[in-house]
Amino acid sequence: MFVTDIRKEFYEVVANQRVALLVASDIDALCGCKIIQALFHFDQVQYTLVPVMGWQDLGTAFLEHRDQFRYFVLINCGANVDLLEMLQPEDDCIFFICDTHRPVDVVNVYNDTQIKLLIKQDDDLGVPSYDDIFQDEEDEEEAGDDSGNESGDGSEPSGKRRRFDEGAVERRIERQREKREWEARRREILFEYEQYEYHGTSTAMMFFELAWLLSKDTKDMLWWAIIGLTDQWVHDKVTHMKYITDIATMQRHVSRHNHRNEDEENSLSVDCMRISFEYDLRLTLYQHWSLYESICNSCYTSCHFKLWTLNGQKKLQEFLADMGLPLRQVRQKFTSMDMSIKENLREVIEESSNKYGMKDIRIQTFGVHFGFKNRFLASDMVHATIALLESTENDENETDNFIKALDSLSRSNLDSLHSGMDLAKKKLIAIQQTVASCICTNLILSQGPFLYCYLMEGTPDVKLFSKPMALTLLSKYLLKAFIQSTRNKRCRLLPLIMAAPKDVEKGTVLVVGIPPESETSDKKNFFGRAFEKAAESTSSRTLHDHFDTCLIELKTEDRSKFLDALITLLS
Amino acid sequence: MDPSEVEFLAEKELVKIVPNFNLDKLYLIGGDLGPFNAGLPLDVPVWLALNLKQRQKCRIVPPDWMDVEKLEEIRELERKAAAFTPVPSPYYMELTKLLLNHASDNIPKADEIRTLVKDIWDTRIAKLRLSADSFVSQQEAHAKLDNLTLMEINTIRGFLLGSLNCMYKLRSNLQPGSSKGQYGDF
Repeated sequence: MFVTDIRKEFYEVVANQRVALLVASDIDALCGCKIIQALFHFDQVQYTLVPVMGWQDLGTAFLEHRDQFRYFVLINCGANVDLLEMLQPEDDCIFFICDTHRPVDVVNVYNDTQIKLLIKQDDDLGVPSYDDIFQDEEDEEEAGDDSGNESGDGSEPSGKRRRFDEGAVERRIERQREKREWEARRREILFEYEQYEYHGTSTAMMFFELAWLLSKDTKDMLWWAIIGLTDQWVHDKVTHMKYITDIATMQRHVSRHNHRNEDEENSLSVDCMRISFEYDLRLTLYQHWSLYESICNSCYTSCHFKLWTLNGQKKLQEFLADMGLPLRQVRQKFTSMDMSIKENLREVIEESSNKYGMKDIRIQTFGVHFGFKNRFLASDMVHATIALLESTENDENETDNFIKALDSLSRSNLDSLHSGMDLAKKKLIAIQQTVASCICTNLILSQGPFLYCYLMEGTPDVKLFSKPMALTLLSKYLLKAFIQSTRNKRCRLLPLIMAAPKDVEKGTVLVVGIPPESETSDKKNFFGRAFEKAAESTSSRTLHDHFDTCLIELKTEDRSKFLDALITLLS
Repeated sequence: MDPSEVEFLAEKELVKIVPNFNLDKLYLIGGDLGPFNAGLPLDVPVWLALNLKQRQKCRIVPPDWMDVEKLEEIRELERKAAAFTPVPSPYYMELTKLLLNHASDNIPKADEIRTLVKDIWDTRIAKLRLSADSFVSQQEAHAKLDNLTLMEINTIRGFLLGSLNCMYKLRSNLQPGSSKGQYGDF
C-alpha cells in the first residue's frame, strides 16, 4: 500500500528499531542511501547496510538477515515484482520500498499489511482498480449455495424441479461466462499495465522530502538529492519534462537554503558548501578536462558534428575558429585557460552552437562550490561515481566498489572523487571510440523490428561494457550517432538491442534493449516482457537478474535463436 | 600531556546554544543541564553543543570574544606588550578550532576569525620562545609567567623540560665530584 504520511508511517516506526537497508547499485539509490544514513545518524538508529546487485543478491541478503530484522528498507529495488512471493517472509516482516522502477506490481500496491510503498501517488502510476484484478470470494460462495439449493429442492415435484434445475443451470452458465469475460478483461488490463517499463521520481528526492518534513535537511542532503535527480537525466531514465519539473522543485529548496545571511556583514566561511543553479553547457566533465576533449567526447556534440568522419573533424575546427578560441587554449586543462576566455564562454558557445544546429547545448542543472578550489557540477559527480561503482580495474569485488562509490559522495573524500573522474574520462573516451568504430564498420544491423549490434570479444575496452550502466550508456550514444549517420528514414524510429560479452569463462553476454530515440519519447521500454517471452519460447539459458528488466544475461551459444524468437515476437 | 587531552579539558567550557527541541532538565554527574526549550538560548558544555549540532538539533551562538573587532584589539595589544596579555578565554585556541570546524555556518566571518586567532597564537608562542631562550642563556633559577594558557604551556613543556634535564646532566658531568649542580630541578 502507498504510505500517505511518510513521517508517521515510516520514520517514526523505524526510528526505534533495528533496520536492514537493502540498496540497489545505481547512483540514485546511493544518494538515497546517503540521505537516509545521515538521518539515521542524527537520530542514532541502528541499521545494517547491504548492497544488492540483482534479484538473487536480494534473495540471499534477505535469507541472511531475516532472523535478526523485522523492518527492511529497500532502496531502488523490489517494487516491480511480487515481493512476498519471491522472498516468502514471516508475517511480521515489514518492507518499506522506495523504488523508481515502474510499473509497481499490483500485489505490492494492494497488500495492506506487509508492504509499504514510499512512492508519491500522483506520479502517473495508472494502477488498475482493485475490482478489475482481484475477485472477491463471494462469487464462489454463491455458486456453492446454488448447488446446495439444487440438492435441497429434490423433494419438489418433477415439473417444478426441472424448471428450477434449468434456472439454476442457466444462472450457473451465466456466471461462468461472466467469470471468463472478467478473467479475459483482467488479463488484458494487466498486460497493458505491465507491458512498458519506465521510471518515476528519484528516490533521493523522496528521502530529501522526508528530511525536509523532519526539518533535518542539510545542504549535503540537498546536494545528494540533486545528484540522484541528475543521474536519472544522465542515464536517460526520465523524460525531459519530468526532469525540468523536478529541477524546479529542487530550485525552491536551493533558494531556501541560500536565503540565510549572506550579506556584507555576515559572509559565510569559504569552506561552507554553496549550491547554485546553473544554466550550464552539456559538455561532460568540461571543467575538469580540456574543452577540446570534452567536446569530442560528449554525446551531444559528437553526434551533431559526426566526429567519427573527417568532415566532422573539419566542422569542429570551424566551430572553434568561429568562436575565436585558439587551439592551444582549448586543448589545455580548463582550469588553466585564460580568464578572458572563460568569462563569457557559455554565451559564446551557445551562440555558435545555434549556428551549427545544436539548439540545446545548455541545460538546467546545479553546481556546488566549497573551499577554494572545489567546484563541481551535478553531472560531473554522477559520472565520477558511476565510474567508481562499475570500475573493472584491479578485479575488485562489487561490494568494495559500492563502498568506494558511496564514500566518494561525501565532501571529505575528494581524492576518491578525483580518481572517479579519471575513470569516467577513460570510460567516455572508450565509449566514443567504440561508437566511432561501430558506425564506420557498420556493425549495427537492422533486423526488421529493431536494430542490433554485437561487440566482439577482441574489441578494445570491451571489459568496461560488461557492466550494465556502462553498456546502457554506450547503446544510447550509439543509437543517437546511428540516427545522425544513417540515410534510411525508417531505421531512425527503431529501438536498439546491444550485446556485449560479460563473462568470458562462463560464456555469457549481457544484452540490453533501449526504446527508439525521438524528441518526444516517453522513455517507456517494452523489452523486459519481450525478453522473457523470447527466452521461454526458445528455452535459451538466460538470467533475468537485474532490477531493470531490459537487461539480461544470455549464453553466447543461444544468441542466434534468442534473436530469431525476438524478431518473430516483435514483428 | 597530549594536545588531545588539553582539547578534552577544553570541552568542559560553557557555550550558548539555541536548541530546536524540548527536553526536561538533565541530571548529570558534572552538574545539571537546564531544561531545553526550543528557540530559547541556554548554556551547555562544548561537548554537548557539538554533539547536538552534528545531529542538527541546535544552533551554536559564538562566544562574545569571537568577534572580529575584539580579536583585532587583542592582537594589537599582544603585539605591543612585552609580557603576555590576558586572553579572552583560557581555552581560546581549542574553542576556536572546535567551533569553526563543526559550526562555521553559525559563526559570521569565520575565516577572518581563524586568521586573527592564529596571529594571536603566533605572537604569544614567539614571546614564549624568546622568554625560554633568555631563561636558559641567563641561567635563571625560576620564572613567573602570567596569562599563559594550558595549550601554550603544553606546547613547550616537553621540549623545555627535556632540554633542561639534558643540560643539567652535561653540566654535572663537567664537574666530577659535585653531587648537585647550581640549577634547580623542575
